[in-house]
Amino acid sequence: MNQREIIDFHEGWKFMQNGITKLKSILEGAAETHFTSEEHIMLYTTIYNMCTQKPPHDYSQQLYDKYKESFHEYITSSVLPSLKERHDEFMLRELVRRWQNHQVMARWLSRFFFYLDRYFISRRSLPPLMEVGLTCFRELVYQEVKVKVRDAVISLIDREREGEQIDRALLKNVLDIFVEIGNGLMDFYEKDFEDAMLKDTGAYYSRKASNWIVDDSCPDYMLKAENCLRREKERVSHYLHSSSETKLLEKVQHELLFVYATQLLEKEQSGCHALLMDEKVEDLSRMYRLFSKISGGLEPVSNTFKQHVTAEGSALVKQAEDAVSQKKTDKKDVVGVQEQVFVRKVIDLHDKFMAYVNNCFLNHTLFHKALKDAFEVFCNKGVAGSSNAELLATFCDNILKKGGSEKLSDEAIEETLEKVVKLLAYIGDKDLFAEFYRKKLARRLLFNKSANDDHERSILTKLKQQCGGQFTSKMEGMVTDLTLARENQTHFEEYLNNNPTANPGIDLTVTVLTTGFWPSYKSFDLNLPVEMVKCIEVFKEFYETKTKHRKLTWIYSFGTCNVNGKFESKTIELVVTTHQAAALLLFNTSNRLSYQEIMAQLNLSDEDVVRLLHSLSCAKYKILNKEPSTKVISPNDVFEFNGKFTDKMRHIKIHLPPGDEKKKVIEDVDKDRRYAIDASIIRIMKSRKVLGYQQLVSECVEQLSRMFKPDVKAIKKRIEDLITRDYLERDKDNANLFKYLA
Amino acid sequence: MNKLGRGQRDKVQQFMLITGASEKVAIQVLKASDWQFEGAFDIFYSHPHLKSVADTRHIEELYNRYKDPYADMILADGITLLCNDIQVDPQDIVMLVISWHMKAATMCEFSKQEFVGGLQSMGIDSLEKFRERIPFLRAELRDELKFREIYNFAFGWAKEKGQKSLALDTAIGMWQLLFAEKQWPLEDHWCQFLQARHNKAISRDTWSQLLEFSRTIDPGLINYDPEGAWPYLIDEFVEYLNENGKGKTSEWNYTK
Repeated sequence: MNQREIIDFHEGWKFMQNGITKLKSILEGAAETHFTSEEHIMLYTTIYNMCTQKPPHDYSQQLYDKYKESFHEYITSSVLPSLKERHDEFMLRELVRRWQNHQVMARWLSRFFFYLDRYFISRRSLPPLMEVGLTCFRELVYQEVKVKVRDAVISLIDREREGEQIDRALLKNVLDIFVEIGNGLMDFYEKDFEDAMLKDTGAYYSRKASNWIVDDSCPDYMLKAENCLRREKERVSHYLHSSSETKLLEKVQHELLFVYATQLLEKEQSGCHALLMDEKVEDLSRMYRLFSKISGGLEPVSNTFKQHVTAEGSALVKQAEDAVSQKKTDKKDVVGVQEQVFVRKVIDLHDKFMAYVNNCFLNHTLFHKALKDAFEVFCNKGVAGSSNAELLATFCDNILKKGGSEKLSDEAIEETLEKVVKLLAYIGDKDLFAEFYRKKLARRLLFNKSANDDHERSILTKLKQQCGGQFTSKMEGMVTDLTLARENQTHFEEYLNNNPTANPGIDLTVTVLTTGFWPSYKSFDLNLPVEMVKCIEVFKEFYETKTKHRKLTWIYSFGTCNVNGKFESKTIELVVTTHQAAALLLFNTSNRLSYQEIMAQLNLSDEDVVRLLHSLSCAKYKILNKEPSTKVISPNDVFEFNGKFTDKMRHIKIHLPPGDEKKKVIEDVDKDRRYAIDASIIRIMKSRKVLGYQQLVSECVEQLSRMFKPDVKAIKKRIEDLITRDYLERDKDNANLFKYLA
Repeated sequence: MNKLGRGQRDKVQQFMLITGASEKVAIQVLKASDWQFEGAFDIFYSHPHLKSVADTRHIEELYNRYKDPYADMILADGITLLCNDIQVDPQDIVMLVISWHMKAATMCEFSKQEFVGGLQSMGIDSLEKFRERIPFLRAELRDELKFREIYNFAFGWAKEKGQKSLALDTAIGMWQLLFAEKQWPLEDHWCQFLQARHNKAISRDTWSQLLEFSRTIDPGLINYDPEGAWPYLIDEFVEYLNENGKGKTSEWNYTK
C-alpha cells in the first residue's frame, strides 16, 4: 500500500502561490512562458492531495477560502488602481482588458482548484469556483466603477448620435460586461446601464424634437424621425443588447412622435391635410409607418383622411349641382349628361382613395372605415333633386343599353359594372336603386335595347353577391320571362299555322310577362283600332289553350307597331309605339282631328296624349301637321295628316320619350317600405312578446338596414297603425312598452 | 238608531234617501266612514252587495217614460226629456259620467239594458234619487283614476259606430268639455294645431296618450322626451309649439 506523504498546508499553499504568481505575471504581460502540462498537472494534483487527505489534514475549506483571497488580493493591488487612474474611453479600454484578464485568471485557477468543484462545493452548498471569481470581480471592481463606466458609454453614444465616429467594438465589449456580470440575469445591465441610457436618450430626442418641430415641415420632420429610428435600431445591432431594442425605439417614438403628434399632423402647409391635398403619396406612406407605431397615432390621421375624402366628394356633388342648374329648364327633370359625368367622377374618386388605403395605409381597417364613412356621407346627398340611387341606376342603363352614351370595350364595361356595384354599398336607399334599375331594365328588355345579354347577367350576379338573392330575384325573373316569351311566341305561331280560322290579320308578336317580377304599370283602357282588336282576341284564345288559370292584362304602353305611312311621295314604314299607332290610325277615317277628339277616341290621359302628339307633330319627324304650329301641345290644337312628309329613309323610328318615372318609383318604394316596416315590427314583436319602444325601433332599423335606412318617424307611424289594427298594444302602466297581441 | 246622536240620525236618514240603502246598511257604512258622506258613498258604491235591489219596477217605469215609440231604445227625444226631468243640460258633462255608469255604447242613445243596468248599479230608482245623485256624479270627475276611465270611455262612446277613429270635430268638442274640468293650459294650442295641421280623425292611441301627456308633461315642455314613445301626432304638436316659440319657456301662467 502506498502511503502518500501528507502535504502540510503551508507547504502546499506556497507551491500553489508560485503558480498563481506565474499566472499573474502572464496576465500582466511579462514575457513568461505558459504553463506546461506538467506544471498544470502538478498544481492540480497538489490541490487534489490536499483535499483528499484524511482529517485533520483535509484542507478543502481553507483552500476554498484561499482561492477567493487570491482574487481579492490581485484585484485590490493591481486591477482597481489601474482603473482608477484612467478616465473616459481609456478607462473603458482598461476595464475591458482587466475583465478579459480576470476571465482567463478565473478559468485557470478553476482548473487548478477543480477538485473543489467536484465534491466540496456541493457538500457544503457553496457557489462553484467560476461563480466565486465572477462575484469577486463584481463586488470589487464592477460596483466601484459602474457609474463612471455608464456615463462614459452614454456620452460616447451621444457623440455618435451627433455624427462622430466611435469605437463600436469597445462599446460592445463594455456592455457585454454588464450582461455577463449578471451571470444569467439581466438585472445589472438594466438597472446599471439601460435605465440611464433610456433616460438620456429621451432627453436627447426631446431636445432635438423641440427644435425640429418649429423649424421643419412635416415631411422633413418625419424623414428625420424615420432616420433616427433606423439608426437607433442599428445601434442595438452594433453594441447594445438585443433586449434594449423595443424599449429604446419606444422611447424615441414617444419623444419624436407621440409628444408632437398633433402639432405635426396639423401643420399648416405641410401637415396631414396638406399632404392629402397635394397627393404626396410617399410622405403619407411614411406618416402611416411612423404613426402606426404610437398608440392612438392613426386615429387622427384616419380622421383627416375621412374629412378630406368627404370634402372631395362633396365638391363633386356641388360641381354637378352647379352644372345641372345651368341646364335648360325643359330638360330639368331628365337625368342627363352632367349626372352621368358625376357618377363617373365618383367612381374615379373611389378608385383613387382606395389606392391610398391599399398602398399608403397598408389596408388598415381604420382607413377602410374612414373611406366607407366618407363615401356614405356624400353618396347619400343626391344631385339636383335626383337621388344617388337614381343616378347609379341611370348610369348602369347607359352602359347596358344599345347606343348608350358610354362607348367601352367589354372588359372596360365589366370593370365599370364591378365598380358601380361597389358604390352601391355606400348608398342607404338600396331599395330605391333596385326599383329604378328594374324600371330601366324593363324598358331595355321590352324595347329590345339591351346591348349585351352577358353583361346584363353579369351585373345581376354581382348585385346578388353584394346584396343577396332577394335583391335580384325579381330582376332575374324578368330576364327569364323574356326567354320563355320567345318560346311562347313559337308555340303561338305554330297554333296560327294549325288554325287558319284564327287569323289576327296582322303579324303579331306577344310577350307574356309574370306580373310579380315586373314593375307595376298603370294599364290604360286604350281604345284599340279595330285591326288590333282581333289580334287580342286570337291571342287570348290561344293562351287559354295553354292555361286556364291565368288572367292577361294588356300593357299597350310597351308595344311597338310597324305602320305603313302612304305619303304623297312614297310609302315609308314607321316604327312607333302602340299608342302612337292608335293615334295615327284615327286619321284613316278623318283628315282633321282636334286634341279633344283624339283624347276622347283614344281614352287616354292628358299627360299621355300630350306626349304622344308631341312626338308625332313637333319632333324630328312631322307626321302630323299641327294648328297652331307652336312647339307645345295645347288642348285647343287641331291635327291633320301630313301627306307631304318625306324622308330619304324608307324605314324610320319615331321615338316616344318615357314619362316621368321618378315620382311613381318613389311612391312605389315608399309603399313597399311601409309593408317592410310593418313586417319587421311584427316579426320582432312576435318573437319578443314585450319590448320597449327604443329597443323596438333600433332592432327594426337594424333589420331593415340592408335595404334602406328607415325614418324613425315612419316606424312610429307604423307602430301606431299596428296598434289601431290590434296587432300591438301599449302596456297599461308603462306607455313606453309594447305588447304583442296574438 | 237609538244610540246615535241627532246629527248622526239625520245623516242616516239622508243617506238612506239618497242611496236607497236600508237603515242597517246606512249606519254600518256611515260608521265605517267616520260619519263623512263622501267616504260613505264611496264605500257604499264599491260594495254592490250593500245596495238593496233598487226597485226594478220603478226603473222599468222610468225606461218606458223615455223610450222611443218605434224602437226599444231611448233616443234623442227621450234623452232630452230625461235631462229636463233631472234638471241637467244635455251638453253637461255629467251626462258623460252617467253614460259611463251605463256603459253606453254610443252617444245620444241608451239601450234598455244600458239604462236599466246603469240605474241599478247607481242605485237609482226614482227621479228624486237621480236628482240628488247629480252632485256626487259630478264629483267623480275630480277623482284621478275615475277621470281617466271616463276620459278613455268617452272615445268609444263619442265615435261613430263601426269606425275605428274619432272624427276631428267631435274629438275637439269632447276635449273642450273634458278639459274644462281638468284645466290643461295647452288645450287651446292643441285644438288649433289639429285644425291647422292634421285635419284627420283621431286614433284611440292618440286619444289616450294625450291624457298622459297633459298630466305628465309640463306646459313649458321641459320634461318632454322627443325620443320617447309618444304618438307621432303629439311629437308634431311639440314641434308646432317650438316653431311658434311656445316651447321651453318659463313664462307660463297656468293653474294646476
